[in-house]
Amino acid sequence: MATAKRAPTKKATKSYRTHVRVCVGTGCVSNGALDIKEALEKEVKKQKLDKKVLVVTTGCHGFCERGPMVHVQPDDIFYQKLKVIDIPHIVQEHFLNGRPVKKFIYKPPKSKEALPKMSDIEFFKHQQLIVLRNRGRIDPEQIDEYIAYDGYTALAKTLTTMKPKDVIKEIKASGLRGRGGAGFPTGMKWELCRNATGDVKYIVCNADEGDPGAFMDRSVLESDPHSVLEGMLIGAYAIGASEGFIYVRHEYPLALECINKAIKQASSYGLLGKNILDSEFSFKMHVVQGGGAFVCGEESALLGSIMGRRPEPVQRPPYPVEKGLWGKPTSINNVETWANIPPIINNGAEWFSSIGTKTSKGTKIFALVGKVKNTGLIEVPMGTTLRQIIFDIGGGIMDDKDFKAVQTGGPSGGCIPKKLLDLPVDYEQLTAAGSMMGSGGMIVMDNATCMVDVAKYFLNFLAEESCGKCMSCREGTQRMLEIVTRITEGKGREGDIELLEELAETVRDASMCGLGQTAANPVLSTLRYFRKEYDLHIKYKRCPAKVCKSMINFYIVPERCTGCQRCVEACPVGAITGPRSEPHNLDVSKCIRCRACYEICKFNAIEDVVVDAIRIISGVGVEEESEA
Amino acid sequence: MIQMKLNGLDVQAEEGWTVLETCRFYGIEIPTLCYKEHLSPYGACRLCTVEIGEGDSTKLVSSCTYPVSDGLVVRTHTNRVQKARKMLIELHVALCPTSKVIQDLASKMGVTQVRFEPKWEDCVLCGLCVRMCKEQMDGKAIGFVDRGRNRRITSPFDIKSEECRLCGGCIWICPACQTRCDGPNPESVLCNACLMTETTCLDVYDDMQCWMGGKGECGMCIREDTVAKEKTE
Amino acid sequence: MPKLKVEDLAKIKEKTRKMTVLREGAGKAKVTVHMGTCGIASGAREIMSALLDEMKKKDTKDVIVTTSGCAGLCSQEPMATVELKGAAPVKYVDLTPEKIREVFNKHVLGGEVVKEYALAVGSERMY
Repeated sequence: MATAKRAPTKKATKSYRTHVRVCVGTGCVSNGALDIKEALEKEVKKQKLDKKVLVVTTGCHGFCERGPMVHVQPDDIFYQKLKVIDIPHIVQEHFLNGRPVKKFIYKPPKSKEALPKMSDIEFFKHQQLIVLRNRGRIDPEQIDEYIAYDGYTALAKTLTTMKPKDVIKEIKASGLRGRGGAGFPTGMKWELCRNATGDVKYIVCNADEGDPGAFMDRSVLESDPHSVLEGMLIGAYAIGASEGFIYVRHEYPLALECINKAIKQASSYGLLGKNILDSEFSFKMHVVQGGGAFVCGEESALLGSIMGRRPEPVQRPPYPVEKGLWGKPTSINNVETWANIPPIINNGAEWFSSIGTKTSKGTKIFALVGKVKNTGLIEVPMGTTLRQIIFDIGGGIMDDKDFKAVQTGGPSGGCIPKKLLDLPVDYEQLTAAGSMMGSGGMIVMDNATCMVDVAKYFLNFLAEESCGKCMSCREGTQRMLEIVTRITEGKGREGDIELLEELAETVRDASMCGLGQTAANPVLSTLRYFRKEYDLHIKYKRCPAKVCKSMINFYIVPERCTGCQRCVEACPVGAITGPRSEPHNLDVSKCIRCRACYEICKFNAIEDVVVDAIRIISGVGVEEESEA
Repeated sequence: MIQMKLNGLDVQAEEGWTVLETCRFYGIEIPTLCYKEHLSPYGACRLCTVEIGEGDSTKLVSSCTYPVSDGLVVRTHTNRVQKARKMLIELHVALCPTSKVIQDLASKMGVTQVRFEPKWEDCVLCGLCVRMCKEQMDGKAIGFVDRGRNRRITSPFDIKSEECRLCGGCIWICPACQTRCDGPNPESVLCNACLMTETTCLDVYDDMQCWMGGKGECGMCIREDTVAKEKTE
Repeated sequence: MPKLKVEDLAKIKEKTRKMTVLREGAGKAKVTVHMGTCGIASGAREIMSALLDEMKKKDTKDVIVTTSGCAGLCSQEPMATVELKGAAPVKYVDLTPEKIREVFNKHVLGGEVVKEYALAVGSERMY
């Protein structure tokens, strides 16, 4: 290997017009930098530039991936990834003709300002992560990574410096309320359980998460299972429980896998079992798999399921905190509630209660789904408005359509219309609006959604999932479904809405458990805010959102049809006919309203039209869509 | 002794009583269907619903399952309660119009319309047969299966039960089987008058719901056959 | 693994941070593939395979590859976060096996962020 030339003296260098600095750091040398230097010197001499262009060597520039590289001063041109065959061209073009060769010049990536920062992205910047604090940054299957971010320090603090009564006091002061939906104050629940008579006590984690569209509990168990374990350990210590059960619905195989692995790893570290962290506290954890019933999310049904009984809710009082699993005091809490405990212990009740509203403290995770641009899981402080969630975080409605309603709280919740978009998310406010917080599902709907159809969807769900004990719930949901289905089929009758309302009242009043008591909410809330839509369906057999199949027809606009045959192929029942290159014909009597043709037509030649019997017959004008 | 309020009156009740037992003790009539003394209460029919609590914490509960406690306030015949009971009996009649017990309850409550399509089922899923079999007859041969629309009463796996001793207790206690109502005419599902005075279950209906394993195997049928047999011999 | 004492928690924290947090320890780059159910459903396993395959091809030794759960923006899964030593992490969205190979070569090896596939730079605010 040739040795580098000594750099010329300062005086000498001043007389050269151009300095060509060749990097001869190890990286570049191993890539042939010395050959480049030799080639440069040779070509410079050949072009008789050796009095004007000085070739020198320098140490490593740092950008090793780009070598061999050469820095030309005073032009401040940085050539990179050079090969010997490129040199003559560069010397001629640049040094002789004064034209730097663009091809070899380093192009820096566009400046950092062009790539937005996470803290600028609307989806992320409004969020405040407490439960999701480890989102995206730890491997859930490595307990050490949980510990690396202060995992189990809250447990250590609890076991070494706090008495059970202190823990309960702290959780009470924080204002934490149950995140499963009912919003019962967690501290109070723990206190009642602790004070109940009996030495044997249990704690349970409700990970049944049955609401369609909700997946926050699944995500917490998959991404950060130890946060739940730590929370449960602290709770068990406070209550005086020695055994705990995590009830996971069987439709969550990855969550089951993750929580089981986490328990195994925690056990091997002695964080579960006898004398945890050298203290007097011992605890055993079990995982129970659900059997596929939505009603198992109801606390008394869940307990029945764990005990191997038919999962039917039972009359309370006595409440589980007095008589729960096998008749012993039991505290059941939701996954999200448990995961909030370690941060509260570490940062204090005052910190937690400073976030949120007067009655709803802390943050809440929402599963933002539906017709919104950015779907996903978000955690925001309580009190954030629906508008901020849907339009700032969610990015607004997909395809820039109009917002119509947002469904919160799953099948027990209701739909909230446009005029209430500035409602802050808060237990009491959502209930007052006819919906509820629920587990945090938030389904956004646009103006192509039929609210009667939405009511039908949830009623169908509830009729399937009702345990069936109470006549009011079992028969009530089926009869409400019957009526609403008739309405969507264009067979609605005068008096249907009044009957629905009366029936809904009985379902709500006479049913024993939460499922039945809230089963009427989908109907009642859509009736409250979208009454006109129901009226249009019943009186004029009209579905303004063009969803209810019996009330729409499809029609091919002859002026726009190019005869491309795409719809003919797409139609599953052969309702469209017509030769190539001529406007096609749609036979309404065969049409099943599947929309396959509508979706596939590239020329907007297929229209969905609302069938309006009365207008056709009597020519009477009909008001357009119901105002939200 | 428990001190509580019943329809505005201060009354006393024993520890462990339910609200329904207390009401009956004081002579207040509460409609029931799925409740039978000496069998555990279940709370399926919801007809025994009463109102408890005051102000914002007012709610409706089934009195047969709700335990009494100190300071409990109970109201048995408010408008809200009566509306609920009427709607509930409407649902019952629409489900099983051929039950005299249910028709009688509807008459008593002054129900004049049934606004739902009758389903003509034979079972209202009150669960009396299940509890009779389990608690009184110690058979445990039948139970509830599935949920929601598909909920029904049957023997395990729908196969002939080996536990069933053919005692007939389930049929005896069933409010739909007990006395069949021949009254409702096709125009109105409501009867409002009792035309039948004898048990009609087995005489009139061949395809009644019977889990004795097949026709002719339940207690009543066999006895009748032997009687008829003796007569012919 | 032995039963932990309270003091052990801090020791594990320190040791793990050295291994997984680039600022504090080994490795010149770290790639986290997000594998919650939403990620897996949109193909995160194929992304992971492609990434590991590319690393094998290029015989890369000092890049940490790890997984984590859902990153929150479920509609744009599969996602991966690339962090080079001394630089803020970059989140890539809507990935395919071809894209992750490109990202690995251009960003992880080449140091240049692939703007077209990137969502943002930086981390989320915790608490």
